[in-house]
Amino acid sequence: MSGILITTSVFNGSVSMPTREVLGMARAIAAKTGDSVSAALVGAEVSGLASELIAAGADQVCICEDVKLSEFCANLYLEALQTIVEKVAPRIILMPGEASGTDLAPRLAQRLKGGLVTDCIEYEFSGDTILYTKPVYGSKALARIRITTPVSLVTVRPRTQDVYPEAADRTGETIRIELALDSCPPETRMIERMEEEVLECTLEEANVVVSGGRGLQDAEAFEQLRELANLLNGAVGASRVAVDQALVPPSCQIGLTGKIVAPDVYFAIGLSGASQHIAGMSGSKYIVAINNDEDAPIFDISNVGVIEDFRNVLPVLITELKKHLS
Amino acid sequence: MHIVVCIKHVIDPEIPPSQFRIDFEARRAVEDQGKWVLNPYDGNALEVALQLKDRHKETKVTAMTMGGQSDQKVLRHALAMGCDSAIWLRDDGFDNLDSYGIARVLARGIQKAGLPDIVLCGRQAGDWDMAQVGLRIGEALGMPCVSLVYNIETGDGRLRLRRETDRGAEVVEADMPVLATITNDQSNQPRYSSVKGIMAAKRKDIPIWSAQELEIDPAEIQPMLVIDELIVPSYDRQVMFIDGQDGAEKATRLAAHLIKMNLFT
Repeated sequence: MSGILITTSVFNGSVSMPTREVLGMARAIAAKTGDSVSAALVGAEVSGLASELIAAGADQVCICEDVKLSEFCANLYLEALQTIVEKVAPRIILMPGEASGTDLAPRLAQRLKGGLVTDCIEYEFSGDTILYTKPVYGSKALARIRITTPVSLVTVRPRTQDVYPEAADRTGETIRIELALDSCPPETRMIERMEEEVLECTLEEANVVVSGGRGLQDAEAFEQLRELANLLNGAVGASRVAVDQALVPPSCQIGLTGKIVAPDVYFAIGLSGASQHIAGMSGSKYIVAINNDEDAPIFDISNVGVIEDFRNVLPVLITELKKHLS
Repeated sequence: MHIVVCIKHVIDPEIPPSQFRIDFEARRAVEDQGKWVLNPYDGNALEVALQLKDRHKETKVTAMTMGGQSDQKVLRHALAMGCDSAIWLRDDGFDNLDSYGIARVLARGIQKAGLPDIVLCGRQAGDWDMAQVGLRIGEALGMPCVSLVYNIETGDGRLRLRRETDRGAEVVEADMPVLATITNDQSNQPRYSSVKGIMAAKRKDIPIWSAQELEIDPAEIQPMLVIDELIVPSYDRQVMFIDGQDGAEKATRLAAHLIKMNLFT
């Protein structure tokens, strides 16, 4: 077994940013170990993306194309990945930590009898071994983990790795891998897809995020947050509690099991800062917290804090910022 | 219909970082700090199962856990919520397993319980946040798996599962048997136990199955992962508080500060 294999996820017809980051990580490891970097490209009409993957750092792209792969169906994608793994025989498999990667990785690991580290945020070498770091206990601790099986699997948290400098003139090899899916009926059938408005979804890309938590108590309060967010061309986020209380849709959830964001400015409003939430936003460059509880843990990680009920602060804050920004 | 829900006892994930203590030598959390609770996502999974039982009276729900002496409490908790039975997988050889070994033991327990129609697991446990035991169980049992599900409806012997995706949600259909990992939603907040339920749960027998009864060879559950080190992350931030007579003054000063910092371009 040799080499590094990465899996590809596709977003809006392109190789997703988390996939590019995983390629960046693979190249950085390869620079030390001399491993080759292959990319698995699975889907219905995806071969056009092979050149993108090569430009982003892949030496080789293994394409599994089949019309049956037009919708994501885990067991068919697993079949394809397993076929590619048998062909490439990698010693390290890196997968982007998006929904599809986190869905496939444990099952692929089980099939390959391999150890898996999920939600990896950094790595280091200890001699020839790689130690993968992942947050544990709701990000109250970090574990450095070594994988002892011949094949190592890792899912990588988005926005933690640098992409490899794109080079359109990089060359690489493209291999088509034949797949016999006829004997493999899909385990699930797609009935309905409910994608939320684009407004709610730009969370990961937003430069400013305005988040609310338990303290907001009603959906109307979120309208004030939305007003601040709109003023600053930002997006609205929320803690898990606010999602459980149905104040905002689940796609707004920021945290360990929600979105991971790292904007220039993060407003935490009426939000105590449970470690599960902090896990999703501690990478923000500047954190502003407004909370009437001076002991709220959110203040421990904030740059600037206001101890006050947000209802007494937000309207004036919005008016004042409007004055300055207009 | 028979549903097995795999649950876990975890150190309360809500312990604030400032109070959280780590046993660096043992490379895990200090065990006698704060309370231990049912893993929150497992509570959501139990609720999904019990809602199916509410709608289909013939449904039986079994809670299963793998763990040591104190972990029996989560099984009592699950019984008090309304589960019909509970099974405890317990053996000294089950200490210090990783996701692979735990999944293997639970899969064997589920097989021994008579292959159910539905297996539910929380999407991840609030201690190690590995998010792999559930899906590994599904693979070990050769079952279709659907992850990040928050609601399940039945009809014509098939299931419709609502799941979270990167950009929203989707509904997929699957035949039984199936394994689903469950995520939180307003629709699956765990119910409170009634006093009657708590009393009845205390009287129920909980069978204990050992490695021998599960026909597990210790060699087949050896860990694949080694924790080299556990460290506490540090956030190098010193908060500056904005003072003022009232909220309005604080807001004005905050706005001035943010503008001075030139944060919005």
